[in-house]
Amino acid sequence: MKALMSLSALIGVAGLLLLGGMVLDIVPSTTIRLVEGYMPMQLLLEMGCFVLGFAGLSYILNAMGMAIPRFWQGIGFWVFFLLYLKYRVYPPIPFSVRAMYGTVSLVAVFMWVSANEEDWQKFKQPIMNVLDAQTGMNKLLRYAYLVLLPILIGGFSFNAMMPKSEEPIELRTVHPAPPASTKVHGKTYTLQTSQNPYRVNTEGKYDQEYTNANIVEQGMGRLMKPNANPWDETNQGYLKYVREGGEIFFQNCHFCHGDNLNGRGLHAFAFNPIPANFTDPGTIAQLQETFIFWRVAKGGIGLPNEGFPWASVMPPWEQHLTVDEIWKVILFEYWHTGYYPRTWD
Amino acid sequence: MGLLTGKRVFSIMALCMMVGLLLLPIVVALPSPAIGEEAPAVGDEAKKDGEKVEKGRDVYYKTEGIVVGAPAPKTTDGPKDYPRYNFESRVLIWFANQQHLYYGSFVLAVPIFCMIIEFMGVVTKDKALAKRYDQLAYDFIKISLTAYSLTAILGGILIFTFLTLYPAFFSYLSGIFRPVMHIYALMFVAESGTLYIYYYGWDKMREGFLKWIHLSMSVVLNIIGTLLMFLANSWIGFMMSPAGVDEQGRFLGNIWHVIHTALWNPLNLHRILGNMAFGGGVVAAYAAYKFLASKTDEDRAHYDWMGYIAMALGVAFLIPLPFAGYWLMREVYAYRQQMGITLMGGLLAWLFIIQATMIGILFLSTNYYLWQAMGRMRGAEKYQRYIKYLVFLLACGYIVFITPHTMVMSPAELKAMGGQQHPVLGNYGVMSAKNGGINVIITTTVLSFVWYMRGNKVSTVSWAKFGNIFMGVFFVCAYINIIWLAVYGYYIPANVRVGLSVPQVATTLSCLFFMFALNSVMMRGAKQMGPIEWGKISARSQYALIMLATAFTWMMGLMGYIRSSVRLFWHVNEIMRDNSPWAYTHTVGFAANMISANVLFFWISILFVFWLGSLTAKKVPVESKAGIPGSVPQPAASH
Repeated sequence: MKALMSLSALIGVAGLLLLGGMVLDIVPSTTIRLVEGYMPMQLLLEMGCFVLGFAGLSYILNAMGMAIPRFWQGIGFWVFFLLYLKYRVYPPIPFSVRAMYGTVSLVAVFMWVSANEEDWQKFKQPIMNVLDAQTGMNKLLRYAYLVLLPILIGGFSFNAMMPKSEEPIELRTVHPAPPASTKVHGKTYTLQTSQNPYRVNTEGKYDQEYTNANIVEQGMGRLMKPNANPWDETNQGYLKYVREGGEIFFQNCHFCHGDNLNGRGLHAFAFNPIPANFTDPGTIAQLQETFIFWRVAKGGIGLPNEGFPWASVMPPWEQHLTVDEIWKVILFEYWHTGYYPRTWD
Repeated sequence: MGLLTGKRVFSIMALCMMVGLLLLPIVVALPSPAIGEEAPAVGDEAKKDGEKVEKGRDVYYKTEGIVVGAPAPKTTDGPKDYPRYNFESRVLIWFANQQHLYYGSFVLAVPIFCMIIEFMGVVTKDKALAKRYDQLAYDFIKISLTAYSLTAILGGILIFTFLTLYPAFFSYLSGIFRPVMHIYALMFVAESGTLYIYYYGWDKMREGFLKWIHLSMSVVLNIIGTLLMFLANSWIGFMMSPAGVDEQGRFLGNIWHVIHTALWNPLNLHRILGNMAFGGGVVAAYAAYKFLASKTDEDRAHYDWMGYIAMALGVAFLIPLPFAGYWLMREVYAYRQQMGITLMGGLLAWLFIIQATMIGILFLSTNYYLWQAMGRMRGAEKYQRYIKYLVFLLACGYIVFITPHTMVMSPAELKAMGGQQHPVLGNYGVMSAKNGGINVIITTTVLSFVWYMRGNKVSTVSWAKFGNIFMGVFFVCAYINIIWLAVYGYYIPANVRVGLSVPQVATTLSCLFFMFALNSVMMRGAKQMGPIEWGKISARSQYALIMLATAFTWMMGLMGYIRSSVRLFWHVNEIMRDNSPWAYTHTVGFAANMISANVLFFWISILFVFWLGSLTAKKVPVESKAGIPGSVPQPAASH
């Protein structure tokens, strides 16, 4: 048990040192890389390690007769978590999300330190000592709080009320709500029921499973399946349409959406927000093909009221592409990213 | 003996009358169901006159029917269709509707609690405990009686508000639902009659066979209440996902189609569970308030116990609530993709993040209360050191659950992030991760309950060690399975991913049922480390109960707003357009303020109801009321 706790304590100390280095800009935040594809779980596992690490550290210090008071344990862990979010995670997390996480962690710390009466008494003792002001030091602290707290609140109020020249925060939606049907080149498409006419099997029939089996493999990299290379001229049917879609993509779309479909094309950073990243599991992987069809055809300008609030400068591609070309380019996007379009069956 | 027989006869007659009241609206409505009251008449008349019968196609069922109703009015902004005070009519209707719903939910939920608690009292062998349960059920119904009058008053106010501010819409809706509106009114009469007989007959039917009759009355009462709610749900179901009408909104004669819309069943289930959880929360908050105001240890013990029972019942219905909500959302997506995306990924997505936050608060409060409650048991100290790990699991689940898909950020932050999605946290924003998050939270709540149930006990069965190891392994496997499925969800098609929620939920429910059952078996004849010292619970626990109830109330207001707002600029989706000046979606801030105002008003008014209840209580001495001469309240010896 002691060995386990000592090991945990080491992890705790290492975590503190690493984070301290990151805060002071001595250690880059990429020292322990966030590995693509595993980052969300890595983040949670790191936090789990720190919880165990601090539990071990507390145990060892306690055994050495140098116990940290519960009050400072609580405050310390909360501060650690806030700094972790700010300096460890990259790219930087927006303030609104850090504020949400900070509040949750504050509540969690409160739940921990007040879970039983004994801990709660330990935690609030320093606060009560200052309020009671039985010693000179506590008296001094009480007066200091009396002066500092109103100044602090005043400062926050002043800061909140002061006019700022920053661009305002705007809410937008990643997926604008689509209409029930859309009219493209004179034909009406019902979004709920329409199908991509090029998602077909060798017999020329609509076949989601067949086409899904021929898309690139997901994983650390993206690999084409054996015998499923669209650029093999002998391939017909679905793979041929993918190739044609790819040609359309590289003639029209890749300037913004990028060679790897990750939204980082040549012109991408002229826009804010940058174009959609199709390799992200939150974009096309969440949507029906007909949604993409509607979105490509109408662009940002043609979005209906239901789609508000949005921010998109994508042109309405129905003015430049035929219906068949739009369907083929969508086919290519799913093939290349290795995602399956959403279906309701 | 003669008197007893008389009482029996009277009770059976009362029960028969209740059943009669229950059947009355159905009997009255017999000519109208299924094919519509007037459909054949109009058709026959038309045939007689040799006129052409106009047929229409059902917008949802796609069946053909004879047009028997007028088309949905095409309203224009003006005093004819939208008469108004110098105020936003939508806000007024919002307020009236929400208050009616709060009270309606409360008075529908509390009788179900009474039924459960009264039943527990009847079947409990411990006579003292049985009396406690009976008294508790009586206290509950007493609170609900005053609230019932208020519900009716608020319902009246709601109808008048509709008639005066939205006459064209209300006229259309009442035209469509004409047969069921009368049934609704009659059901209300039946509910009132049943409730009064149930309440005033309590003392007369306290023992033996009569008690069973009384209990049966509560079953009838709850059947009527539930049917009443289902009917009211059909109106909002119709507004969201209309059926039984053609594209112009003309009624096609089949009232069942109008009622049984795409969203009716999921709405019914979600509301019934939501009402129960809400009712439990309100009663728990009442008990918490009384606990904090108590002057004696006896009162504290009583209200501590009452709070615990109400909380346990409320949470029992809270646990399946997210799954019912999931079903509702799935049906919404299946009905209209646009609606689903507006809700979960579009205009209203931020409100869903607030909703997730509130759900998290509910579960966190519940866990916190249970940990505090372990403080009143001797022997539960052994679990205290592990609570920090439960806190960690809850916090991680909560963080994932509330991470928004579309983050609020300034353009500068957006640029610094390098794209619309954060590469790390963006993954928490989609459903696969969120399912994992909420299931981890619920499983942890189940674990807290298991710890609470065995807090002051040590199992004495011969296989106790094996049982403990098995339970531990079961929970670890459950966590691994839930998290693994959440991660796996990223690598499979969306339609399969949606299906993954089933094994995740099954895992959580397995923990709930198997672990509770196993724990109960293990704790049979267990060695008690000490009694549960009712009343010796921290004040913080009671604030957690108040927090629980407030979060329920706020969340109900929020979800009602979201459900209603998803129609955007339609009174009846895709059938009747809202052409009032208020056919726009409010800002998140305005909606939040409005919901808070509704919550505040509800709590102030319900405090008044509680106060009225306490006036009655003061007139009756505690001893005679409880039926235990000279006794002070002694809550249950176990949980």
